[in-house]
Amino acid sequence: MTALDTHAPTRMARTAPEVDARPAGTIADPAADARSVPRVDAVPKVLGLARFTDDLVVPGAWHGCTVRATVPHARLLGIERDPGFDWSRVVVLTAADIPGDNVIHLMADDQPVLAADEIQHFGEPVALVAAPTLALARAARDHIRVHADPLPPVLDMLAADHIFASYAIDRGDVEAGFAQADLVVEGTYRTGHQEHIYLEPQSMIAIPRPDGGVTVHGSLQCPYYVHAALKRALKLDADRCVVVQEETGGAFGGKEEFPSGPAIHAAMLALAVGRPVRLIYDRREDISVSTKRHPSVIRYRTGVTRDGRLVAQDIDITFDAGAYKTLSAVVLSRGTLHSGGPYACPNVRIRSRAVRTNTPPTGAFRGFGAPQAEFAAELQADRVAEKLGISPVELRERWAYRLGDRTPTNQELRESVSALDTLRAAARAADFEAQRRVFAAARSIDGGRTVRGIGLAMGWHGAGFTGGGEKYLASVAAVELTAEGRIRVLVDSTEMGQGMRTVLAQIAAQRLGIPLGEVEVARQDTSVVPNSGPTVASRTTMVVGGLLATAADRLRAAVEERAGGPFPATYSADARGNGGLRFDERFDGYPDIVWDETTYVGDAYPCFSWAATTAEVEVDLDTGEVAVRHVVSADDCGTVVNPLMAAGQVEGGTLQGVGYATIEEMKVEGGRFVNDRLATYLIPTAQDAPRITAVLLENPFSNAPHGAKGLGELPMDLAAPAVVAAIADATGVWIDELPATPERILAALDADREEAST
Amino acid sequence: MTLVAPARSTHLTVNGAAVEVAVPGGTRLLDVLRIELGLTGAKEGCGEGECGACTVLLDGQPVNSCLVPVGQVEGRSITTVEGLARDARLDPVQAAFIDSGGVQCGICTPGILMSARAFLDGGVEATDTAVREAIAGNLCRCTGYTRVVDAITNAAAKRPREIAGGQPAVSREIAALGIRSEIEAGSDVRVGAALVRPGTLAEAYALLADGAWRPIAGGTDVMVELAGATHADGQRLLDLTDIDELRGIRVERGCLVIGATTTFAEMRRSRLVSDHLPVLAEVAATIGGLQIQNRGTLGGNIANASPAGDSLPVLLATDAEIVLGGPRGERAVPASEFFTGYRATGRGAGELIVRVEIPLPAARRVRFRKVGTRRALAISKVVMAVSWREAEGAGTAPDAGAPSVWRDVRVAVGSVAPVPMRARAAEAILEDAVPTAQTADRAAAAIAAEIVPIDDVRSTEAYRRAVTARVLRRIVRDAGGW
Repeated sequence: MTALDTHAPTRMARTAPEVDARPAGTIADPAADARSVPRVDAVPKVLGLARFTDDLVVPGAWHGCTVRATVPHARLLGIERDPGFDWSRVVVLTAADIPGDNVIHLMADDQPVLAADEIQHFGEPVALVAAPTLALARAARDHIRVHADPLPPVLDMLAADHIFASYAIDRGDVEAGFAQADLVVEGTYRTGHQEHIYLEPQSMIAIPRPDGGVTVHGSLQCPYYVHAALKRALKLDADRCVVVQEETGGAFGGKEEFPSGPAIHAAMLALAVGRPVRLIYDRREDISVSTKRHPSVIRYRTGVTRDGRLVAQDIDITFDAGAYKTLSAVVLSRGTLHSGGPYACPNVRIRSRAVRTNTPPTGAFRGFGAPQAEFAAELQADRVAEKLGISPVELRERWAYRLGDRTPTNQELRESVSALDTLRAAARAADFEAQRRVFAAARSIDGGRTVRGIGLAMGWHGAGFTGGGEKYLASVAAVELTAEGRIRVLVDSTEMGQGMRTVLAQIAAQRLGIPLGEVEVARQDTSVVPNSGPTVASRTTMVVGGLLATAADRLRAAVEERAGGPFPATYSADARGNGGLRFDERFDGYPDIVWDETTYVGDAYPCFSWAATTAEVEVDLDTGEVAVRHVVSADDCGTVVNPLMAAGQVEGGTLQGVGYATIEEMKVEGGRFVNDRLATYLIPTAQDAPRITAVLLENPFSNAPHGAKGLGELPMDLAAPAVVAAIADATGVWIDELPATPERILAALDADREEAST
Repeated sequence: MTLVAPARSTHLTVNGAAVEVAVPGGTRLLDVLRIELGLTGAKEGCGEGECGACTVLLDGQPVNSCLVPVGQVEGRSITTVEGLARDARLDPVQAAFIDSGGVQCGICTPGILMSARAFLDGGVEATDTAVREAIAGNLCRCTGYTRVVDAITNAAAKRPREIAGGQPAVSREIAALGIRSEIEAGSDVRVGAALVRPGTLAEAYALLADGAWRPIAGGTDVMVELAGATHADGQRLLDLTDIDELRGIRVERGCLVIGATTTFAEMRRSRLVSDHLPVLAEVAATIGGLQIQNRGTLGGNIANASPAGDSLPVLLATDAEIVLGGPRGERAVPASEFFTGYRATGRGAGELIVRVEIPLPAARRVRFRKVGTRRALAISKVVMAVSWREAEGAGTAPDAGAPSVWRDVRVAVGSVAPVPMRARAAEAILEDAVPTAQTADRAAAAIAAEIVPIDDVRSTEAYRRAVTARVLRRIVRDAGGW
């Protein structure tokens, strides 16, 4: 490593062009925008009449419970029922009672519905219980003993010997890159589990069908994931499994793959009892066993020249997948593909792996691997800026992707690149450089109890599924003109708070030229709606919305031709006279997107969304407590359908990121999550939440008929590095591990002081 | 004397309608609303008063209905989210949530709306700070709170608004859906704990002598414990909230006297508290959210005897006496001797905490600091109260601004030992001393050495030790003005 001459000129070799005061397509006040119609499901929600799963009344329903492992790794010997307990009104099921395959069908099919031979994690389901009352079901559960012969658990991801998935990406010649570097900066960053804390716990109600099948009503994100899992485990054909999504009280990825397990459990019990069965987790069970964000250890070596050019990045990523593979290969893929940050670098080497430990499986969580990688990438960028003695904004101005740049997978960024626009928009809205000087001046005056600082991060988020995923999914979305003359949108995309119901209806209404109130979104019931893919990966507005736009265009043209007049005026009468019409649009790939899954070369995503975030914090030097005062998030998600709801996504994701940065710490002891209550796993309250300013930029994506890119996950990526950078600005210490708890901050401050005094 | 039999049914008013429910009095109000009455607007997000999704108004004040045994609301009035809209018109706050984008998934919305309604009815100006405090007891995971705060701020300017298509009448809704307890085999809520409501202390002592009855007041600890138990139906609760002798705040014989079932909200609102011991209002404001403050009581905080009990260090630092009552009369125990071990107290099995008496010496200063993981709804990692009287120091000129000598110093701290404790070594250093930097350093070192913190789910031993020392040093420093 070469020490830099701090007096050397740090003027950027490639200065930024002058830009307008405000880039075109910036929405400064989302609430005032004409497209910000109120959400279509708001009225029943404010009236308290929206029905969530546990609100449903189901005649004759029994209650289900799950008997779980209490050790992280063991050979399962069997279960024992307490002979003193009255079992006459209780049904107990084990792995031997599974009608089909003992797998929760997903990617690797390695996770059993119920443990059969070996227990792989604490809380793993071993048996199921149903009884006429909840009290009896719980009592029965507590009278079942799981006999198991403990095996040594693997609890440290760096000591794990089983790799579920790994990736290697190489671009240029990384060693040659480091040879050119005047400065090499190394860093190791760690992140912990994060729990979703959707406010509605996992909930399922299964009802036996007269045809011998089962209908499952539940809180879930992906009806067809659950459908596929039910078919496989229950050995039922597609028609005899029906999945209905009920009103869902938050999900954030936590109801992507996980609900398949409880859905199968409820369905098994319902079929065994011959009655409906409610399986509603309480909060403690939910936190104990549901999926979490993957913990990570990420190492960087970054080479830069004296004038700040980025010449080499060597990145090594480990994700803790927990006991089963679930979606870890895909989560890791996204983490890997985002780990270079939104920065052009000619020489890159990335190695990554997801490993098995005997902890509850980690899984999908808003951001899906990107938040871990971008936290590390952004802190690393800040460390480089600090070493170069330049501002974080200046460094990013220098490094940020421009149109025509190539990513580590050699993807040419051909359109809709807004890295610099979002950076400038955020820096301007936060008055970043001025605030930084003000805080520095205040710190230099006096040793008060608190110090303030400001930090910044920028990032990107690939929209939709990775690589060939979207083409493989071949999603279908339909717009129907019913014989009664009503317009129905048919998708299995789910509403979980993000606004699907409203946004997709807005797209259809806009294309058809009719009022929003004339569009109905059909219920997410697999016996009614086609498979438009899972509601994940920030894909719904872009991909499903795009299909709907095309389907609506076709419907409009067909009706106008048939009726001989403009659609809005003619469609209703036309349908009653000439019958209904329905157009199903299937996704068949965006043009010119080429991806090689085996070499990881090509267009990893059809396009990217871009964002920059600033955070202002106040740190109490006595206690290490951090108050996040103001966050600005500037986000480009392409053409915005509903700016108010888009801002809501930005604000909510930002606060989840602030929580991830500061207080959300899942404590694991012996493979068990010990803070499994809302009193011990804390998320921010309204008093902890900063003022959040959302600035939306609209840089459209040409392959989507309506120009939209993805948004849902993007704001989750950047709040954490921005907050940690602000803490460093305030205190001078870098916290390389999330969350940056007061305990870690105080320890770092003490270490810093000791170092200074020796 | 006649013993009070457990009530077989409870009479209450729900959204303006008189209702009689025939369930055990220990049944959670939340279950009565959702399962007996079919009012499913209130949601269960945690079952232990942490999320606020089950918030309803009890006589206009927000409470967590998961922590309220229904027997306690005999004769009282409950408003749920279903009662907000009237005459086919949205309440202005509902209209504001729709217009401002305050609703996303909708699961926390009913609870937040109730907190918002209570706040707006309270007539406090809707500043950002005030609104955030009003909803601090309601977690939302979707919105980041920005638009929720906007909605409540904007609600004052809204008027009731017609509901398109008319109001979906709640009664009609119930009829369509049915009531779970009647339709489902397994939704019987008639398995809650029994609850009796004596109206006098004498009746309560007689029941306590029986040994099977467990005292309950605000329920913010007891109901959480019961929710975790498999067999709540075996429990018998002795409700203290109907006993007048346990209520009220007054000043007598130079003491601030606070009845055991006085809630934290009552302490915050009390003129006597703000005049005589404002630190107690400050403490009360740090406990839970408003839903908890409306229910949790001073006596309950003492009886629960958590080492992290937020009110306890102040009681220790102000020489408070805990007055216990029983069939043979009353006795007073100094707060500093009351806590005998981890969650153990000097209260006898047949006794109740009747009141707390806090002497009010002249020229006493009291400082309080709570360090938690977040700004609201946090259980302390360190909680400290320091009190002293200022006297002119020997040889110190009595000119204004010169630091005075500290006398009668009390340093009390919680969450750093099995019991809330007095830090006697630190007190000895501060006693008769001027609050200089040297004194503060010595006191900080002393308290770090005398506390016995542990690593647990909330923090670490090292952090608690370091922070306890720094918080004490800061209090001394602020008083010393250096």
